[in-house]
Amino acid sequence: MTSSVPQARRGGSHIVRVALLAMLALTSIGPLLLLAVWSISGDWFFPAVFPRSVTLVAWRAPLGADALSSALATSLELAIGTAVLACLAGLPFGKLLSRATGWRRHAAAAAAFLPVAAPPLALATGLQVAALSLGLAGTRPGVLLAHLIPATAYLSLLFLGTFTLLDPRPEEAARTLGASAAQVWWRVTLPQLRRPIGEALAIGFLVSWTQFALTLVVGAGAVRTLPLEVFAYVRAGDDRAAAVGALLLIVPSSLALVSLRWAAGRTSMLPS
Amino acid sequence: MLLAAASLAAPVLAGIVYSVAASVGLVGAGATGHASMARVAYVLSERVSWASLLWTLGVSAVATTLATAGAVVVAVMFRDNTTMHRTGRLLASLPLPIPHVVAGALGLWSLSQSGMLARVAFALGVIAQPADMPALVYDHFGAGLALTLAWKEMAFLGVVATALLVTRGSAAEEAARTLGASARVAFRRVTWPLLWRGLAPAVVAVFVFVTGNYEVAALLAPSNPPALALLVAERAADADLSRRGDAYVASLLLLGIAVAAVAVHEWARARWEPLAP
Repeated sequence: MTSSVPQARRGGSHIVRVALLAMLALTSIGPLLLLAVWSISGDWFFPAVFPRSVTLVAWRAPLGADALSSALATSLELAIGTAVLACLAGLPFGKLLSRATGWRRHAAAAAAFLPVAAPPLALATGLQVAALSLGLAGTRPGVLLAHLIPATAYLSLLFLGTFTLLDPRPEEAARTLGASAAQVWWRVTLPQLRRPIGEALAIGFLVSWTQFALTLVVGAGAVRTLPLEVFAYVRAGDDRAAAVGALLLIVPSSLALVSLRWAAGRTSMLPS
Repeated sequence: MLLAAASLAAPVLAGIVYSVAASVGLVGAGATGHASMARVAYVLSERVSWASLLWTLGVSAVATTLATAGAVVVAVMFRDNTTMHRTGRLLASLPLPIPHVVAGALGLWSLSQSGMLARVAFALGVIAQPADMPALVYDHFGAGLALTLAWKEMAFLGVVATALLVTRGSAAEEAARTLGASARVAFRRVTWPLLWRGLAPAVVAVFVFVTGNYEVAALLAPSNPPALALLVAERAADADLSRRGDAYVASLLLLGIAVAAVAVHEWARARWEPLAP
């Protein structure tokens, strides 16, 4: 009798877990399926649960020369540029910040956290006039610089953590054995940073790839990225084109996330 | 080092300084050239500013609470290494790479009165026409906006909560159970405090992000009262040029919420986790 109570509880808990799993499947896979079906739907009006016809016409747009393909190219350019430049800036910033101790370390971390915490629209509103006066408003370099602000801050924080946890003994040993600073960097430090750099590139890419408010305000409507086009299609009621754009947005994000998880699963740089 | 830190913060600080200067009429559209609090007083005296602020804070609080509750349930219910638990964690994290603008579109297509939920309700005979479906989009209470943001942010908080339980929670809870605590007591006294303290920074980050989000609000929020981010954008593009400066005051409100949330978090953390001597 005493053992039947826990068994009954376990059974009840199992049913709850299965119900939760079903709910998670419905709310996680359902919306993705909805996007996929919407992107190939023909006429699909209320109250039809499924589209009456199927068409691939919206999928020709990204391959053609229309707004969606142009936005895709712009988004890729900006995201790759942001990832590389933010990584190049974030790495030395992170290393410098990791050397700080005491209140300087807290102040440095807070300074790096500020661009991450600031709402993008508020940040963009403050930056808009600077971009206008520098002739960068409505240009790709201007939007790239705007994307670099939060991206560099994110990656500086990432490298701050990386350098804090990095085992300093191999570098010290190399210096003791007579290696120059450059040799230590290329032969010892950089090989240990391959995976964090890969993660940083993925995060930098994602920060720019999903950026909306900064692009909208600093780009002044002249720089059209994929999130802006998806937004415009949704507002215009062109659900099919919006669904195609949305799926194009999700694919690189998902790949970046998978690569981050893969890197995290294989990271072995932490000191024992 | 200080130069590196200053370089990172400089663009934001410059933006804040410009917004403050524009708010007091020193620069920007409608500037008078001399400092005056008239614009700030005018914006803060407008009923729409406070309605927008309170509405945004309310919806953000609901969305963040729902997302946190969902994340805790996922972390507690799916923390073992079995196939079912791993599947649960994977499913919960699927919305993570979905950009917010896509989440907004999905919210619109799922929750509007002719959306997928309404179509399923019609097929099941629950409603006879779109008007029978409760308005969840552009509604006064921001139900669709809160649900969509909660769905999107639950994935992030779920990943953080699961990582916390796996790394810190299980061993402590097992120790409490071994010492005779019931499952309920072990959760309330051991697992929950660990989970909450570890999750708090992420919860604050989500609240700040949700409060300042523009694209999801633009797709799902009502026009009256406007979400704070929409009020900023509306004022910045006002046909009356003299009113464009009001956008800077509203954007400072947004920044103020972010700073206040971070300060509250730091205060709470200092209270809970005093630094060791």
